[in-house]
Amino acid sequence: MSAPLYRIDSDHSRFREIVKGRIRRDLAKYLTSSELIGRAGAHSVSIPLPQIELPRLRFGDNQGKGNGKGDGGEGGPGEKGEKADGQGSAGEQPGQHILEVEVDLDDLADMLGEELGLPRIQPRGVRDLETEGGRYTGVRAAGPDSLRHFRRSFKRALLRTVASGQWDPKSARIVPVREDFRYRARKSAPKPDSSAVVFHMMDVSGSMGRDQKDVVRIQAFWIDTWLRRQYKNLDVVYIVHDAAARVVDQHTFFHLRESGGTKISSAYELCLAQIQERYRPEDWNVYPFHYSDGDNWSARDTETCVNLLSGEILPRVNQFCYSQVKSAHGSGQFKKDLDAAFDGVDELVTVSLADRGDIPRSIRAYLGRGR
Amino acid sequence: MRIKTSLPSALKYQAVVIENAAREAGLDFFDVVFELLDARAVNGIAAYGGFPVRYPSWRFGMDYERLQKGYDWGLSKIYELVINNDPTYAYLVSSNSLLEQKLVMAHVFGHADFFKHNAWFQPTDRNMLETMSQHAARVRAYIDEFGQERVERVLDQVLCLEGLIDPYAAVRNHGRDTRNAPRPEALSDRSLRALEALSGPPALRLEHTAAPKRREAEHRVPTFDVLGYLEEHAPLEPFERDLVRIVRAEAYYFAPQRMTKVINEGWASFWHSRLLTGGLLEASEIIDFADVHSGATAAAPGQLNPYRLGLGLLRHAESLGHDLFTLRRVHNDVSLIDALVDEEFSLRFHSIPWSKRQDAIAQGFDWQAFKAELLRQLSGGGQPRIELTGLAGGGLELLHHHDGRDLELAAAQAVLGNLRALWKGPVSLVTRLDGKVLRLEVDERGSRSRPVDDGAGASTDGE
Repeated sequence: MSAPLYRIDSDHSRFREIVKGRIRRDLAKYLTSSELIGRAGAHSVSIPLPQIELPRLRFGDNQGKGNGKGDGGEGGPGEKGEKADGQGSAGEQPGQHILEVEVDLDDLADMLGEELGLPRIQPRGVRDLETEGGRYTGVRAAGPDSLRHFRRSFKRALLRTVASGQWDPKSARIVPVREDFRYRARKSAPKPDSSAVVFHMMDVSGSMGRDQKDVVRIQAFWIDTWLRRQYKNLDVVYIVHDAAARVVDQHTFFHLRESGGTKISSAYELCLAQIQERYRPEDWNVYPFHYSDGDNWSARDTETCVNLLSGEILPRVNQFCYSQVKSAHGSGQFKKDLDAAFDGVDELVTVSLADRGDIPRSIRAYLGRGR
Repeated sequence: MRIKTSLPSALKYQAVVIENAAREAGLDFFDVVFELLDARAVNGIAAYGGFPVRYPSWRFGMDYERLQKGYDWGLSKIYELVINNDPTYAYLVSSNSLLEQKLVMAHVFGHADFFKHNAWFQPTDRNMLETMSQHAARVRAYIDEFGQERVERVLDQVLCLEGLIDPYAAVRNHGRDTRNAPRPEALSDRSLRALEALSGPPALRLEHTAAPKRREAEHRVPTFDVLGYLEEHAPLEPFERDLVRIVRAEAYYFAPQRMTKVINEGWASFWHSRLLTGGLLEASEIIDFADVHSGATAAAPGQLNPYRLGLGLLRHAESLGHDLFTLRRVHNDVSLIDALVDEEFSLRFHSIPWSKRQDAIAQGFDWQAFKAELLRQLSGGGQPRIELTGLAGGGLELLHHHDGRDLELAAAQAVLGNLRALWKGPVSLVTRLDGKVLRLEVDERGSRSRPVDDGAGASTDGE
């Protein structure tokens, strides 16, 4: 009984090994294409690997050519779902479907790290950890009266009254007993070193085209994948801006197309507000990324940005990354301004990309410092 | 290697009762050994084609992942697994209900009878469990000696050619010697030594040591047995040749199952239905039985359900007064359909009452076209027929007998590439694509395809 299982396990792990080898070999391709995006779930990504299947001589897609079909309902003899494959012919029908393999995002991140030589992120310096400093978001059956949760307690009492048949609509009276009471409780906050937040800020002004957004998308995917490997708990916030900024969901982030001017400071202000309100640096490792083609409204706004960065944002974040994607109309001036203002500052990374081919280099620049 | 799992007494009792009923009804089979395993283990065995002792290959691991995923997601589930062997092994899935187990056991006795008596299975190795484990031992020995990468590469190349055998060898050689039978394998000296070292005396059957006959004449071109030709004539290392031999022997073992899918499943379904409704069911089980049975024999849109077709054909045959036991002895899917599908059957198969016949015909129902389509789909076990037609300048020339279905070109080219790697010379395949005759060529410079003018090369079978 254990013998056959042991054998299939070793063949199965050999298969997984081959799959991983294949992905590792093609990683450079995946790094610069949007193929994996949209295939990722919470913990794994399903990667189509048509070339891993052994080729066989088999029929193509013109089945039934030049022949009066008796019946549209019946197709070729194929695998049948339920009572399949009686006499050991399992898997003998070559897959009509392309083989997709599930790969853990963690494994993918490890491959990425290997490929690009990324260091693991160093924990930030030891800080006083007030782990019990969480907010009152939970509910418990015991607690002090001052924390009694009236609505929950009432609901319990109502439920019990109705269930026990004491409910009288004419004299609607609820008398709680001790078991009905519910109390607010603190949820202990996760330790700072295990939580991180990524801000993806993107310029969606008219000059950012589809190609530029694809480059952003691919970068964001790999950044998230890597950081998720490093931190137990990763929040991702998407901010878009033209002349004004707002927080959006992932789908909007990648598909929104605006036109009009560009005021980068609007995004930085919003990001800062988010950090201050929701992602205090005492609890979170903060990674803002800003993607733009390098045009800003005015030199004055750029100055505002520089001041925001140096005065407010940089002290609060692990690292700020600016990613400049070349576009037909972008001047690329903003990177020059940042480089001039922050020469030699470790917390700020700027990269300019001409096209997708530069993505591995940019990822290495962002994540290569292990911050 | 035997798997030791004893049936719980309730199932053991049912197995005895059903076996007696089956024998009484006239079924005859080798001993049937039932093993009760959980779904994961059954998926593992199914991935090996039913043989837990099979040689190691990542490909089985891939099939396992697919089966396991299908099971985890509730998309598919294996009810039963029977292997053609003496004794016949059958695996039951422990999560099934008692009624399902009874149905499966009755079904298994049907398969077991079919394996033993159907003409197409006569040449198959009834000791395949043992043979497979010998194959596995040899492959493992080669891995130890030549390294996993190398053995795997050759094995993968050969496995791509798995389908290039002659499934009709049994008929072709009727009355002649039984070379189609999983032939006494002539082992190379090296593999013999490896074998001796590994498996001791039982593996060395008498046939193995017999000097190989001269087979030059036997393998005259043309032949459909491309693998057999390679085994004898390709410039291969001894271990590579043995890998070809192993893959070929297993391909021949499995070939009859492809050719008899419909009749075999039909036969087994006919008997599970007949036996269980003939007194083996408790009154309380009737509804569940009907549910499971009709689930297995339901018409699935877009798919040909071999259970449904086979059962329908056998019941039709019974109504016509045929001797079913003779049918199950002499037929494969194609010949059975050819013999039995008529207008009445076609109408019933499509749930068209006889009274609505004229309407159906007016709407395009054509039973002859239906029959032709079935025959075409099932001919050659559902696989393209490829013949080795000639040798030109040290190259292999293959011909695809085109039946209206084109080959998948990219896959065909990849397969030819592997064939070239084994043959170490140019290879070509003549086929048809979109009605035009096409010649695919692979040599050391790469692969290409070019149209052929005469058109005589790729003849069309069946049209």
